[in-house]
Amino acid sequence: MKILIIEDEPGLAESIGAYLTAQDYLCEYAGTWAQAREKVEMYRYDCILLDLMLPGGDGMDILETLKKQGQQDGVIIISAKGDYESKIRGLHTGADDYLVKPFHLPELAARIYSVIRRRSFANHNQVVQHELKVDLLSKTVTVHGTPVVLTKKELDLLLFFIGNKNRVIAKSALAEHLSGDIADMFDNHDFVYAHVKNLKKKLSEAGYGNYLKTIYGTGYKWEG
Amino acid sequence: MGRMKKLLDQSLRPLVIYAFMVLVISIPVYFVIIDWIWENELDKHHYAIREKLEKRLTHLSMPDTAVDNMIAVLDNVQPGFSFSEAPAPRPDSLYTIIRFDDFMQEREQFRCLTTDIRLNNKLYRVLIETNMEEIDETILAIAAVTIFFIMLLLAGFIYLNQKTALRIWQPFYDTLSGLRGFRLETGKAVPLPASDVTEFADLNASLDSLMQGSLASYRQQKEFTENASHELQTPLAIVKSRLDMLLQSQSLDGGQMRIVEQVYQAINRVSRINKNLLLLARIEHAQFEEKERIALDETIAGIAAQFTDRFENNALHYTESIEPFAVEANAVLTEILLTNLLVNAVRYTPAGGDIRVRLGAGVLTVSNTGSAALLAENLFRRFAQASGEHAGSGLGLAIAREICERSGWHIGYDFHGGMHHFIIRF
Repeated sequence: MKILIIEDEPGLAESIGAYLTAQDYLCEYAGTWAQAREKVEMYRYDCILLDLMLPGGDGMDILETLKKQGQQDGVIIISAKGDYESKIRGLHTGADDYLVKPFHLPELAARIYSVIRRRSFANHNQVVQHELKVDLLSKTVTVHGTPVVLTKKELDLLLFFIGNKNRVIAKSALAEHLSGDIADMFDNHDFVYAHVKNLKKKLSEAGYGNYLKTIYGTGYKWEG
Repeated sequence: MGRMKKLLDQSLRPLVIYAFMVLVISIPVYFVIIDWIWENELDKHHYAIREKLEKRLTHLSMPDTAVDNMIAVLDNVQPGFSFSEAPAPRPDSLYTIIRFDDFMQEREQFRCLTTDIRLNNKLYRVLIETNMEEIDETILAIAAVTIFFIMLLLAGFIYLNQKTALRIWQPFYDTLSGLRGFRLETGKAVPLPASDVTEFADLNASLDSLMQGSLASYRQQKEFTENASHELQTPLAIVKSRLDMLLQSQSLDGGQMRIVEQVYQAINRVSRINKNLLLLARIEHAQFEEKERIALDETIAGIAAQFTDRFENNALHYTESIEPFAVEANAVLTEILLTNLLVNAVRYTPAGGDIRVRLGAGVLTVSNTGSAALLAENLFRRFAQASGEHAGSGLGLAIAREICERSGWHIGYDFHGGMHHFIIRF
């Protein structure tokens, strides 16, 4: 899977690249508008991470060009602009997702996973992890063929973990993912613990191995 | 401060007082002058009569008896003459007298001359008198005329003042009412009327540059907040992503993991403050102008659902009694307002406490368990939270108030029955 990271801040681009490379993605970088334009015209990517404020131009132009040319690359806008209008404009122009800085890398990884999954829907409507099977169309989960009834949040968590296989995820990243905008209003994220516990319990009751690990009580890791 | 006075009355008052004084003084002056002219003319007239009488009678060269007869005729028939023989010459006498007049059958005033006249070497004392207007009637007439003119003058002053002064000062009043409509938050200077009067043109030009200056510094301040917040987003994003990477390190032990967790919390708090500062700047920039019809009851239900985890986590007891109610407002701001109130309630309610939301008759009340009343005037100010132990951004309620002000609602605080109540009247 090829990913293009269009981001002018080297520190951020590097972190994103390192995190995604460890997820077996192939990352390329563009730090300016001109570089981005060149790469987008020459190569195809499974997902493009697009910063809007770039040296040399507006990232929105690149998105518009892509859409005009009818390219199928998935696009996630990563921007410091968090206002409603910018989000609406980005999504209307054809971005698959819009992530406001600062964000957690696991959140980005989960969204990339989701975008790529949706783009290649035809052959990937099922996610298989060992004895676990997730049907994305009907939103059902089975372990060894036995259905497991999960709440919406638990399913959400499960997909988030699968999208961040073998990575340690901070509790706050999970909290932000689960409660969206109101997550960063609070410092206490203990409610995450309850959801993870329930998910773990339901999966192990169905006979799923202990792949979901707690790391020192502050982080989680899905071993796949 | 005493009673305020209007500018136009200020200019009118001394004029009126001055005119009144002048006219009052003029009454005796008129009288003295008119009286003096009267007497002077009558005296001259009386002397002329005496001269004529003496010359003509002497010229006739009549015998003494004829002269006596003539004098008797004049004395008895001609009004205003009275003769008597005089033993010795005496000085002339001029005087004014008021007496009852038999002929006019009325009280009359006379100007008199008593003088000597010599006819055929015989000395006569003659009194010549002329009826003139009475002094009191003269004064009355002059006073009446003067008062009439005072009235005429005053009425004229007031009328002209109303008309002329009002017209002259109209640009000033226009400027004043224009300034009254000036609001810094609108970001626009009010247009002041053009004037061809130097002073008003100067005034308007000064006021205009004053407004432009205020607007520019207001804009700068807002832009500064917005730019500063924007600039902070990127380094925050780097720190957050670096932490996510650090977490992947195999060599981290439990203590280090907890440190990372604490740094996450601090970073979250900075992003929260930053986000809220940015939001405040945007609200003040009036970036949320579009309004739509919002079913408040549905919005509240939707937002409360997002808090389910929080209620459970903090063992909070949430109850609501909501009647259908719709408002015309900006959807984004309304959601932020409701979210902030609920966040506030969740954050400050002790475990096991109550949170109640009531909506009815255009009033929304968000109540939560609390121990003591808070200082209402500090509550809605930025970074003025009551205690430091809770990790708020210090901006939640300031934003709530700003949103209410923008939307023309009223937000208030009350403490009773062991609960804090935040009340919004739509």
